Amino acid sequence: MSKSGIAIIGIGEVPTRIMPERTPWDILYDTCMDAVNDSGLDKNDIQGVITTSPQAQPRLTSELAFGKLPEELGLEGCRDCCIVNAGGAGTSNCLRLAGQYIESGVADAVLVNHVTVHSTISVPELIAFFGQAGVDLQWEYPFGTTYNIVMGLMANRFMHESGCSPLEMASVVTALRSWATLDPNSIFYGKPVPTPEMVLESSIINTPLHKRESNVLADGGCAMVVVSAERAKKLGKPAAYKLGESARYFSGTTVVRDSDKVTNGFKVTAKEAMAQAGIQKQDVSIWNCYLAYPLAHPIMAEALEVAPEGKGGQCFLEGRMSFGGDIPWSTIGDAPGRGHTGSGVSSAMYVETARQLMGKAGERQVKDCRYVYQNTAGGSGFNNIVTIWGREPNE
Amino acid sequence: MSNTENSIDMTRPLPDVQPWSRPFWEAAKNGELLVQHCMDCAANIFYPRKYCPECWSGNLDWIKSSGKAVVYSFSTAYDMVEPRFWEDLPYTIAFVDLPEGVRMMTRIVECDPEDISIGMEVKVTWRKLNDDFFLPYFRPVKS
Repeated sequence: MSKSGIAIIGIGEVPTRIMPERTPWDILYDTCMDAVNDSGLDKNDIQGVITTSPQAQPRLTSELAFGKLPEELGLEGCRDCCIVNAGGAGTSNCLRLAGQYIESGVADAVLVNHVTVHSTISVPELIAFFGQAGVDLQWEYPFGTTYNIVMGLMANRFMHESGCSPLEMASVVTALRSWATLDPNSIFYGKPVPTPEMVLESSIINTPLHKRESNVLADGGCAMVVVSAERAKKLGKPAAYKLGESARYFSGTTVVRDSDKVTNGFKVTAKEAMAQAGIQKQDVSIWNCYLAYPLAHPIMAEALEVAPEGKGGQCFLEGRMSFGGDIPWSTIGDAPGRGHTGSGVSSAMYVETARQLMGKAGERQVKDCRYVYQNTAGGSGFNNIVTIWGREPNE
Repeated sequence: MSNTENSIDMTRPLPDVQPWSRPFWEAAKNGELLVQHCMDCAANIFYPRKYCPECWSGNLDWIKSSGKAVVYSFSTAYDMVEPRFWEDLPYTIAFVDLPEGVRMMTRIVECDPEDISIGMEVKVTWRKLNDDFFLPYFRPVKS
């Protein structure tokens, strides 16, 4: 097997909602069983289980880390399991590890999954959690910073340097929500899409971030079945093949993060992953960008050269990244459109990548979807991991 | 994380100090803003480390900053901060660049948040948390 030789052959997902009555184990059962059934394999064919850590839920993390999931599901063929934590980059690492399980012979089929339930945690405690996660406890936290403020700091600087207007920035939300309203798994499914003006009319959380530019914390989960590319091809079912990968580390804390290094990292990782996959920018059917907040979308669009330099925000305002536009972009609406499930938004985006390549995306299906660019990042953006996925394996 | 609101901590957080950053906080009590300095490669370092992140030297010392800085970016908070910071709202968090070549997170105080801008010149001022900790805040340089 080549180092990129894995494929996703089954997916399962529950709608992202605020549903405290739906327990984490409800979600785990439903998503994992759906993914295995979708793959066409038997439950006892699953030999490895790798879970993205539910960052905000230490008790659940312990249960999953210590092997409860294969036992609950009765996965009698399971040889090993673990959880992986790199925040929003966790699922990328789950998939890497799944490749290693398969390549080393530990497992032929691996179940990768995620669950997070925010709704049973009090709002002040959630604010406290996100005030400290990814924030330095000596040099940042005592000043009263939060995730939202960190994003506000980056957004204000980007808008200052690029000339991106508040209306252009707000239009990112409109674009993301245009996909979300068509996604049955989104918290905003069927809801009206706010105009950029409506986004700017919502109250300020911290400058320049408006309430509608922030994320709704919600509950959700999903799962994928991963096998070798060779086996996927033999099975002959629709699948998503991993074709290329690249990554760059930036910094753990925002105070020492170099914005040029981040932008260059976005560029280099895209080029390296596409080169490994043997494709060009124009071959990409969907830019499935996971950036959690709207602010980084124009930066990413410019770095990927799908928007001219200095025109990232304008492209969103023109509707080019919206549903029906000419640049299919974050087709579940990223976290602002999907609802924020902690580390799970990136998991959901991998499921969406597979769903699109399998041709199962319903109303949001991008026509003739052949290649998907997918990125993830952890914490406040400590890294950027890019993978390229295709509906056929590399020969 | 518990599921009750009874456990909400309203106390102000103190810096989680490492042994090698203790001199910074000791000097802060005297109104001195220190920047860590590598005696081998001459790098100025913020935040302070156990070893120089440039050359891994342990031969580290401190230089006294002028206390002047320029606002690199800022964000004024109006909502959705931890309960322990509610009484401060609205407040402005900023990255400021020191002439010593390092960037710090801080608060901008003693001015209307709407008057704060990127590139604004600011100067350090100290906020007492308790007898052991003074946080370096910054205020606009009055012309």
